[in-house]
Amino acid sequence: MTYEIRDPIHGFIVIDEIERDIINHPDFQRLRRIRQLGCTDMVYPGATHTRFEHSLGVMHVATKMFEHIIHRRPDYLKNELNFTDSDLQRDKRIVRLAALLHDIGHAPFSHAAEELMSFDEKTKKVYKHENYSAAIVRYRFSGFINSNHLLIKMGINADGIADFLDGSTALGKSLLWRNLIVGQLDADRADYLLRDSHHIGVAYGHYDLNRILHTLSVAIDEESGSPQVVVMKSGAHAAEALILARYMMFTQVYFQHTRRVYDHHIAESIKSLLTQKTGSVETNYNGKFPPPTEEGIQKYLDWDDCKVMGLVKQGHAGEHGRILLTRRHYRRIFETPERPEQSDLEKLEAAKQKLSNFAIIVDKAENSWYKHDASDIRIIAEAGAKTDKLTPLSFLSPVVKGLSAVNQTRLYVPPEKKDDANRLLMSINK
Amino acid sequence: MDSYALVPWNRYALITELARRLEPTSSQFGKTALQKIVYLLTDLFGIPTGYEFEFYNYGPFSSQLHHDLDLVAHIGGVVVEDYSAEFAGYVISPGERADALIEKGAEFIHSSEVDKAISRVVDEFGDFNASELELRATILFVDRDLAARGKPTNKDDILSIVQKLKPRFDKLTIESALEGMATGEYLRCSN
Repeated sequence: MTYEIRDPIHGFIVIDEIERDIINHPDFQRLRRIRQLGCTDMVYPGATHTRFEHSLGVMHVATKMFEHIIHRRPDYLKNELNFTDSDLQRDKRIVRLAALLHDIGHAPFSHAAEELMSFDEKTKKVYKHENYSAAIVRYRFSGFINSNHLLIKMGINADGIADFLDGSTALGKSLLWRNLIVGQLDADRADYLLRDSHHIGVAYGHYDLNRILHTLSVAIDEESGSPQVVVMKSGAHAAEALILARYMMFTQVYFQHTRRVYDHHIAESIKSLLTQKTGSVETNYNGKFPPPTEEGIQKYLDWDDCKVMGLVKQGHAGEHGRILLTRRHYRRIFETPERPEQSDLEKLEAAKQKLSNFAIIVDKAENSWYKHDASDIRIIAEAGAKTDKLTPLSFLSPVVKGLSAVNQTRLYVPPEKKDDANRLLMSINK
Repeated sequence: MDSYALVPWNRYALITELARRLEPTSSQFGKTALQKIVYLLTDLFGIPTGYEFEFYNYGPFSSQLHHDLDLVAHIGGVVVEDYSAEFAGYVISPGERADALIEKGAEFIHSSEVDKAISRVVDEFGDFNASELELRATILFVDRDLAARGKPTNKDDILSIVQKLKPRFDKLTIESALEGMATGEYLRCSN
């Protein structure tokens, strides 16, 4: 039996009973209480959508991508890449479940609070939300997934989906499909650009999703020797448009200066809440979220936007919590150009030095729009070519090649200190 | 290192210093080679570069390093040029402001620990081309990945996974690289 969910971006999203049960799980329902864009609604009031609808959208788009690729080169997948029909059925199911669950480990207010995740002593790295997503699948969904007869029959278990989510090298040839969830042309980006644009009320994130879907294919990359998701030449400009849409969304929305400072205010509020005991549940984690261990993940899942804002409203989150309630955010006092020279970076250091007696917030807005060498979108010639000669999009597109990374640092001070700070920085800002 | 520094001069200086030291020895010091060399410095020689690596199509890759290279090139620490019109690759060489940028991170770059590690990575891996570096970095990544996941492994396990991840390398080539890494006592897996 299937069910339909109406979605503002994709129309109807069809799910089956297994997916319905996962969606109805309390840990998935928690995503209704995790905003997609943190406190972006402080600047763009429409940005109140959640990870819940985005997760459904990613599953929908990833499935479409998978189906179009299968339709494009069925013989190639079977004869050259040794996928059997049952392999493809299994992988489609894994892609759907992984896409559905890929964001289940997000912290309250999404990326804003990611810096508060615990440190992994084994890898010497700070955990990311992907690690929490994988842990939630392993520890919270294994009972359901590992006892479902249909999934057992297909050879799917919770560990396999978790490996898919956190990119275990043990995945082997199924790593191909991970490109649909984690890549430069993946279902995650494909969905959030359209969805965020829709809710915020901007057109920057628009591109032609249908054209991309209809030009997706698969081929072995001669250089890496690995099978990859590729785009046919007729879809190169549609792929280019998605990269440009992302560039525009970051520069015009995600990196907007007031939006950025609210990421710091919410993170500082949560950090403050994580250092105290609030209510009956233990919440003192020294300013960090519990780690994604079997024991820690249960405590972690207790945190969502509602809990945070409830505590903020009760006055437990200090100065930054009050800022969230009154919208008296810190004000931008200095910023480097998007592409700073060495002298700009030295001015930044001098500015920070001059403001050493102020409570300041430092924000680094950094992103590269296109990773030329890691997962460059590969373009394949149309029918007629005898071999799969792939060309990186960055090589075909002067526009993509010319997109420079943004590396902008901003300094903010409390609103009542803005005039004093301006006077101190007068010589630097000349 | 200085991941939380206001301006991560040490990272910028490291990229510039590697361009300077590897330009004469490496057959083609490009973006892939830079990624793999910094990965080796980080995970093999334990230098706190501040970079985190994930596994992509060409082996371990750090988005932050990719991003920093772009900025260092903009500042003039390095020059990144197209290799040729036919081949979609890049060559990295020191730029006109290389000295000034290395000076900004001199304390880090010239510390005995970092200086020794760079010398070792240049001596032991500097002659490999991008493809050979990719294979060795992949072997190391698989070894460390499995160890971090608490999965006991031996060389055969690593061989089997690398064969699946890098099918363009034949078994003998992978075995030879694996043996070289094991002989250098770079791996944590058992024999």
